Amino acid sequence: MPPIINDKKCVKCGCCAEICPLDVLYLDKKAPEKKLVVRYPDECWHCRACEKDCPKGAITMRYPLSHYMLHYKPEKGGASQ
Amino acid sequence: MKTYSCEFLVAGGGVGGLMASIAAAKKGVDVIVAEKADTRRSGSGANGNDHYHCYIPACHGDDMGRVRREIGASFDAGPWVDASMTDVWINRSYEIIRMWEDMGINMRPTGEYRFEGHGMPGFQLYNLKFDGKNQKPALTAEAKKQGARILNRVVINDLLTNEEGRIIGAVGVDVNEEEPELVVFQAKAVLLATGFVSRMYPSITPAYMFNTPCCPATTGSGQAMAYRAGARLVNMDMLNGHAGPKYFARGGKGTWIGISTDIHGKPFTPYGDKPSRATGDVTADVWPSCYHDRMKAGQGPTYMNCTETSPEDLDYMLHEAMVSEGIDSITDYTEQRGIDLSKEMVEFGTYPIMMGQRGIECDEHARTSVEGLYAAGNCVGNVNGSLAGAAAFGLVAGEDVAEYVKTVEQEAVAGHPLVKEKEALCRMLMDRKGGAHWKEALSTLQNLMNEYAGIDIQNENMLKAGYTYVQQLKADCLKELGCENSHELMRTLEVFDMMDLAEPIFFCCENRKETRGPHVRSDYAFTNVLLNNKFQTIVKDQSGKVHMDFRMKH
Repeated sequence: MPPIINDKKCVKCGCCAEICPLDVLYLDKKAPEKKLVVRYPDECWHCRACEKDCPKGAITMRYPLSHYMLHYKPEKGGASQ
Repeated sequence: MKTYSCEFLVAGGGVGGLMASIAAAKKGVDVIVAEKADTRRSGSGANGNDHYHCYIPACHGDDMGRVRREIGASFDAGPWVDASMTDVWINRSYEIIRMWEDMGINMRPTGEYRFEGHGMPGFQLYNLKFDGKNQKPALTAEAKKQGARILNRVVINDLLTNEEGRIIGAVGVDVNEEEPELVVFQAKAVLLATGFVSRMYPSITPAYMFNTPCCPATTGSGQAMAYRAGARLVNMDMLNGHAGPKYFARGGKGTWIGISTDIHGKPFTPYGDKPSRATGDVTADVWPSCYHDRMKAGQGPTYMNCTETSPEDLDYMLHEAMVSEGIDSITDYTEQRGIDLSKEMVEFGTYPIMMGQRGIECDEHARTSVEGLYAAGNCVGNVNGSLAGAAAFGLVAGEDVAEYVKTVEQEAVAGHPLVKEKEALCRMLMDRKGGAHWKEALSTLQNLMNEYAGIDIQNENMLKAGYTYVQQLKADCLKELGCENSHELMRTLEVFDMMDLAEPIFFCCENRKETRGPHVRSDYAFTNVLLNNKFQTIVKDQSGKVHMDFRMKH
């Protein structure tokens, strides 16, 4: 689930759901208590717009293992070696 | 059903769309921007950019021959751009930089114009290093200030034309609420600025369709709408893709300060053997398929190697440049997983096809071949310029529209047959409970595109079969797909657009009976010199007949 929302910090303002370019987040206004749901996690682009624009700093990003960044230590350590 | 009337409708509130809305509204045109997401954070420039490809006379001199030659040679457009179109964005670039400064976008983070990245050794540098992290909020604020109306989460789905084929409006869907609502626009002119075709081919991680280098919300709808409305498309046979960290698809390769090397840290191109903050590494710009090509040739893996980048430059790259470019997910990822780029290289890959700068044919005024229809940005097929191209052609379109709307009258759109057709389609998809899901259809479309109209090799039999399979898939999708809510309807309509866009790709690939660049044919292995400097165009007339032609590059 890419965006992780910290319930203790989130004030359910809905800013993240408004600006998400992929419509991943959803503010359920009809629930008895307003509820913020990561509704379409596999449609996340991991762009961090929600994280950056959250006024309460309540969002962090989890990068799925599918998006693995392959890294390798060169044997001799440097580009010109 | 809701109805709006305006003089100028902009489909897509990215950089191109917002620039068009600003330019037109400034001249008193009544503008509406319809945006699939929210213009403050939408499109491939959602979170920023850090390079503005430009010509500033005081910095680059007056030798336009040199400027054109050097920009042309170091840019990832390859040969598939009209020089007359490139001139437009080059010549408007400095003016736009000053406009953006006035809007509060920081074009001089160091206090002066400084150029970095995408640089060819020995050439002048043309990429202005700026801080674009607030570019979308700033452009949105300016569009509103100039009087443009912005409708977020409204997806334009088809263009309305009159009997003569002139644009009179558009039809779309409002996806703000759980239940979608059809929206009909009456407009004298429409701009398509809908970006790349990000999800038509499988992602680098096929199980995760949204792992794409540029915004996965851009799905070729502008190109598909233009084709259905009778506009001419160009270069649909020249499939292309982007490059970057292999399984973590992200654009912005020019922001990296390192060099492309093999596993031993050895460079394989002549564009520099030491990391340079000034030039970056132009390898992936001029040879974006190098990572794929090298793997195929048994020469992989290939890395972005920052192990010799100075600690200052590495810190700057990760904590300033990538933030300005809006790709600091890379920074966040490497920090979360403890990857130290001063010691470890990151494997780069060539990403699957996304048809950047392949699509709608425009002239120097951003006009398409359909009267009243304009296009700007990555959905245009005969110009590149990326950010600078999108901004300039948005501006040009807005200016041209301001004159055009004075010459035509509004026409009634109520009762237009396409509105009824679209309403019936949406109702059918929403009413079909328990129907097939859009991901099933897209997964099959992606497989078909990859295997039958892919980048490795094609032949006439594969192209004919692939086209037939897509038509079969579309017919079954109409019978089986269902949507639970407006979000799913949006995604489903995207899939239908991509299936429609498959047609010009298959037809143009089949009709180019030669091998050239990324177009590799087993049945026509030679390169036909008679087609040198020629672009292939395709247009569907009102009777549904398809016409293809090769025209000279200009």
